[in-house]
Formats: sequence, C-alpha cells, structure tokens
Amino acid sequence: MKSYLGIFKMQFKSELQYRGKAISGVATQFFWGLLKIYLYLAFMSTATVTGFTISQMLSYIWLGQAFFAVSYINLPKNSAKEIVQGDVCYKFVKPLNLYNQWYFEYFGEKLASTILRCFPLIIIATIMPASIALQAPAGTIYFLLFFVSLIISLFLSVAISMLAVYLTLKTLMPKGALGIVNVVTGLLGGSYIPLPFMPQSVQNVLNYLPFRYISDLPFRIYSGSLDIKTSLIQIGLSLAWLLLLVLIGKLVMHSALKKTIVQGG
Amino acid sequence: MSNIIEFKNVNKEFKLSLKEKGVWGAIKGLFKRKHKIIKALQDVSFNIEEGDIVGYIGPNGAGKSTTIKIMSGILNPTSGQCQVNGFTPWKERKKYVKNIGVVFGQRSQLWWDVPVRDSFELLKDIYKIPNEEFEETYKLLNNALKIDELLDRPLRQLSLGQKMKCELAGALLHRPKILFLDEPTIGLDAVTKLAVREFVKYINKVWKTTIILTTHDMNDIDALTNKVILIGKGQILYNGSFDYLKNKYGNEKTINVEFAKEYRKVQLQGYQVVSHEKNVAIFKNLPQTIFHTQEFLQQISKKYEIIDFSVNSLSVDEILAKLYKEYEL
Repeated sequence: MKSYLGIFKMQFKSELQYRGKAISGVATQFFWGLLKIYLYLAFMSTATVTGFTISQMLSYIWLGQAFFAVSYINLPKNSAKEIVQGDVCYKFVKPLNLYNQWYFEYFGEKLASTILRCFPLIIIATIMPASIALQAPAGTIYFLLFFVSLIISLFLSVAISMLAVYLTLKTLMPKGALGIVNVVTGLLGGSYIPLPFMPQSVQNVLNYLPFRYISDLPFRIYSGSLDIKTSLIQIGLSLAWLLLLVLIGKLVMHSALKKTIVQGG
Repeated sequence: MSNIIEFKNVNKEFKLSLKEKGVWGAIKGLFKRKHKIIKALQDVSFNIEEGDIVGYIGPNGAGKSTTIKIMSGILNPTSGQCQVNGFTPWKERKKYVKNIGVVFGQRSQLWWDVPVRDSFELLKDIYKIPNEEFEETYKLLNNALKIDELLDRPLRQLSLGQKMKCELAGALLHRPKILFLDEPTIGLDAVTKLAVREFVKYINKVWKTTIILTTHDMNDIDALTNKVILIGKGQILYNGSFDYLKNKYGNEKTINVEFAKEYRKVQLQGYQVVSHEKNVAIFKNLPQTIFHTQEFLQQISKKYEIIDFSVNSLSVDEILAKLYKEYEL
C-alpha cells in the first residue's frame, strides 16, 4: 500500500507544478460558467422546471465548473505516450499490480488538478453579484453529504478513466478512446445539460447509471434539491458503482495486458 | 555454476493486421482486415549461467527486445518454456520482478517532473528496501557513477548521459540478481559509454549479478564479455565465445606497404592487391591465407625494397557486418 501511496504522491507533486495550466483552466471554466448561467436564466424565466430553483441552478453550474476536473474524464497524462510508444514496459517490471499503478497515479494527478482549480473558482463565484453568485449550501448536513459524495465522485471518475485506458490499450488510439468515454459520460452525467432539464423518463434511467455520480449528484445534494434520505441512498448507489467499475476495470485491463504487444521496439 | 536462465523451444508470434494502400484500401480495411502472422521468435533455446555477462546481439528486428521482454515478464510467449531464477516470468510476474532490474536504453523509468532523489525514494518503497540497505547500496552506486550532484534536479533537466547513469542506479537500488540492459549505450558520448561499461563490469564483480545486454555497439561486447548469443530472424544462430567469431570472421587483414621506389607491378603469392599507386600498395590476404608477419615480410623483401608497412584488422563492427551478411540477415 505504501508504494501505491508513493505513486499517488509522486503524481500529485508533479501535477502541482503546472500552475499555468491551472490558471488558464480556471479562466475557461469561469467564462463557460457565466455563459451557461445566462443561458439557463433566460430559459428558466419562461419555463418552470420541477424541483429545480434558480438558486439551485446557480450552485449546480458553479460547482460543476469548480469541480470540472472531477467530472471531466481524461486519460492519465503519461498513459497515452506510455501505451502508444511502449514505455508501459516499466510498469510490468515493478512488483506491483498494473491496474493499481495506473489508478493511484491518476488519482494523484486528478486530485492535484482539482485542488489547483476549485478554490480560485469557488472564491470568484462567491463574490459575483448576488443574482448570479454561488449560493450557500442548503445546510450543514447537506454540505457534509456533498463533501462525501464529491470524494466518491473523484474515485469513481478515476475508475471510469481506467476504462478509457483499457480502450486505449485495445485500440492504441488515445483520442478515439477518450472521445467515446467523454461523450458518454458528459451526456449521461449532466455535464452538457443539467439532468433536471431532461425529461422525467430519461432521468429515471440516468439516475441509476454511474455517470451522474461524478457530476450531478454532489451538486444536487449541496443545493438541497434532493432530500437527505434520497441523498444517502444515492451515495450508497455511487459507492456500489465505484466497486463494480473498479472490478470491471481490473478484469478487462488484465485480460488486455495479457495480449499486450509492446509498441516501438 | 548453475543455470539462472533457461529458454526451451520458445516461440513468439504476433498477429499484424495488414493495411492496404490508399484511401480505398483504408475504407476496405474498415470492413475486412487481412492478418499476417509474424514469427518474432522461432524455437529459441539457450541457457545462461549465474554470474555471467552475456551479449545478445543481432541486427534490428532480429528478436532481441522480444526475448528481453519475455525474460522480464512483459510478454508471454506463444509456446515454449522459460525459467528465470526459478520462476516462469509472465506467470508469477509480481514475485519474479523483485529480483530483476531492467534498463531500456530508449525509455525511462524515473519520474520526469520531480527530482531524481524523489524517484529513488519511491523505488525504495516499491521494492521495500530497508533504510540501511538502501543507504549502503546508494553509496556503492554513487561511488561508481558519481550521481550525487544530479539528485536534486528534475529528470527532465538532465543530459542523456546523466539520465542513463540515474536510470542504471535506479534499476539497481534493490540489488537485483539479474540485470537486463536493452541498448544501454545508445546515443551516449564516448566518455559516458566507457563509464557505463566500467560500471556494468563493476556491478557484475561486486554483486555477481547476471547481466544480459543487447547492443549494436560491438565495443560494448568487446569490453564486457566473451559470451555472446547471436540471433537473426527470430532464430539463434550462434551461442558461444566472441573470440571465436572474431577469429573466424576477422582473419582478413589489409596491409599497407610503402616501397623505396615505384614498381610497375607488385604481386605476392596468397595476397591480392587492392590498390596500387606510385610507391604505395595495399594488399589483402586471400581467404585461404592466414596472415603471418614474418612470412609476409620475407616474401615481399625478396622481390622489393620496402620502407614501411602497417597491418590493419577488421573492426569488430566490420566483422559483424560480414557475419550478418553470411547469415543473410
């Protein structure tokens, strides 16, 4: 375990060095946030959405922007090069589990980039004019549940990324693999359109898929659009999905690695 | 000495999907793909004794790296048996790799963005090396490689030679019993190459580490070992002493002779004139002639008056080129 934590720390430290990247990320997320908020304000002034108030929408959007690094599925930074050019060799010659090496490496990277981006954005979003600012959480208990749910999201998001790593191993095309996973998670998880805006029948299905847990659930809990009992059940479900996806990821990745052809001589 | 590595009838096949030419070919490829089986290794068998340094040589694409990757547990062969240090590498990978070190000359195992020291600390955790042993090993490695002043710099700021020194140290922190070096001197300057060779010899001496090395620089082999395995087109072609190869393929000499005056025509029995200009001639021994200095001088001084002469042997690289040619590699 100590070695996996070491791998996590190593990647965390490496990622913290990229401050410039984080600053430009914060700027992008901020402007996208503003754009989305004005869009939905215009939309909500003419139509009523059941169970989703304007202040809940504001929190939903701002938190979504602040924790974009959590919900956005990417590949571990080095993995594309590792797989396509064959540096993955070195992962094999360590006395460690291959899936875990990638998982902890990416967890470190993701946590660092989340921390670098979320605080500036939350501060900016809080000091915006009251009509478009990030709202306070619905209550202390909601905030705590939000926090728990967010941590699970982080783990879950990394587990989904591992499936993208698997697809890359299979296809040797990082961009293609990522494209598939991104469209699926973004659309089904509420990053493109908030889930409350979707028809009830669609929501009924999406509520049980894993993708909403990395973007939709924590923000809904924060703003109190779900009651505590529902929140707890959903957090339980997200944990179940986490375990299931890690298990699936381990299984498929090991079967793929058995057939690995190391690229590039 | 006992065998630490045993390869028995190992085969490795790769399935390649063939890509047809042009846009139409690419579109056809979307629906129907033809496959071709590439035989990377065919019936490869050899043994390596504990404590040996063995050079694994052959032209590009011969199967050297594939063999190294099977030995280090990265690839599994299509068929055949392989025992290394009592393990079947790809079956008991995690247990097995604790006792091996691997350096791929063109890749890096250390972390790119952080100081080398941090990478070493992490390797220490990964291989569960006790503090004391780690300090002792590091001291020994540093004595040989002089890497102390590099430790606080991120890997990306090091030159290729400095990086290779750190990679070597990193691969040896856990004192592996077997060290695989895949082209460790590729791209290095002359001084660093010498340092790497010295280091490899030193490690082999102090720890009795078994070392398997692939290289295209025959001077590496010349400096390190007399045991070579030659592979070509996936098959073992020769397994034995390097000196034997050199003698067999390296008996060709070129002899430059400077005469006292200009002779119109020079001729010697058993030798062929390669070029002849003014009072200088270059001879080459015919394949059946074994060059012998005294015999050569007697023969030539009987007919001509000579001022100076020099004998050149083929370089190791030229010998190898000849060898590859003979095996049609």
